[in-house]
Amino acid sequence: MKIAFISDIHSNLEALKAVLGEIDKENISLIVNLGDLVGYNASPRECVDLVKQRQIISILGNHDRAAIELKFAEGFNILAYQALAWSAKSLAPEHKRFLKKLEHTRMLWDRFLVFHGAPGNPDAYLSFLFQAKKAFNYMRQKTPGVRIGFFGHTHHRAVWQRDVRGKVSRLEMSQDDLLLDPEQMYLINPGSVGQPRQRQWKASYLIFSNEPETIQFRSVAYDLHSAQAKIRAAQLPEYLAERLETGV
Amino acid sequence: MMKTYQKECKLKDGSVVLLRPLVAEDREGLITFFRSLPEELRLYLRHDVTDAKIIESWTENIDYDHVFPILAFADERIVGDVSLHRIPFGWKRHIGTVRVAVDPDYHDKGLGTLLIHEIVELASEFGLEKLWAELPLAFPAAIAVFRKAGFSSKAVVEGLVKDLRGRNTDVVIMVCDIGTQYDF
Repeated sequence: MKIAFISDIHSNLEALKAVLGEIDKENISLIVNLGDLVGYNASPRECVDLVKQRQIISILGNHDRAAIELKFAEGFNILAYQALAWSAKSLAPEHKRFLKKLEHTRMLWDRFLVFHGAPGNPDAYLSFLFQAKKAFNYMRQKTPGVRIGFFGHTHHRAVWQRDVRGKVSRLEMSQDDLLLDPEQMYLINPGSVGQPRQRQWKASYLIFSNEPETIQFRSVAYDLHSAQAKIRAAQLPEYLAERLETGV
Repeated sequence: MMKTYQKECKLKDGSVVLLRPLVAEDREGLITFFRSLPEELRLYLRHDVTDAKIIESWTENIDYDHVFPILAFADERIVGDVSLHRIPFGWKRHIGTVRVAVDPDYHDKGLGTLLIHEIVELASEFGLEKLWAELPLAFPAAIAVFRKAGFSSKAVVEGLVKDLRGRNTDVVIMVCDIGTQYDF
């Protein structure tokens, strides 16, 4: 069984299509979207439609929630707020109904915990050791037996590991593939499809394979100029177009 | 730039301010704002902001890649100005410098904190790693505002700058590690 994990699409249709195109070349059983389907870029409706049409399992991100209720965007900075307000205005009621039905934390097949920011909280980040420890503790208490969590939000690829003695560490990824140890717990972030922030512009995603459990980080080129042109045509802040190119 | 490139924020007293980036049309409003600041505040600004030509040079040469200025408006009057200054190349390319000025009528209303928070958030969007601010040690309220926004004091340089009476006074250097802002 192979599962594709995608996250932080952020209304970038070109990047989403490129990722799905690559996923379609493989024998993938399921695609899971870890939240933030909308915001920042200029194709929110099209991205929601495509995710619905492809029956991609999705969870709620903080931008998705803010697109449904703008008050949740009040803490966003002026750039993110502007783009989110535009997304919210662009979405039709059926798109918002779709987003509204999404949960922010979900258990999949009693085996994986999927969430956007941190378990139980789409706004919180999982960037530092204490946050990873907190997330592992949540899993051990609330979802005992679940060893692997997938999350997004930071737009950075990451793998956190908790060994049998309870030691939590972030794995330095020297290569894109990793064989998971069945004795250990993991928190895995596939990076962002629509706004990668790892100083490279390609859309990022991840393939999980069973028996043996393996993850593969992938990235794919997409029609960057088209995505940028749409941002400019929508009169969204210019920086949002520029950053796609630099991967910031 | 589109007109809606802005957001409304509520202050501690319930009043509402509008935040948006500086545009060329803000020239007059900005001159009025800076001229309304008390001299002891203006002294700590980097330029002679009472000089209309200085303001004009800002509004006519807007380059958000180098300086990202955000203004706060109350009833269409500028009541606050915060700017993020960046050097895109060299050893300080990951550092932004913050400068802020708030109308004294809006002190103790949370506007300074709001503006600095906004810049910290934006700095993260811009991929910056650290923010730098220099403040007179004699302004504990301003230091507290920066501290609340995640800055910590890194050094005090004794007698570095001069006050209105020409006395040498101390400057505190504060730094915000952007990454740790996302700990909450």
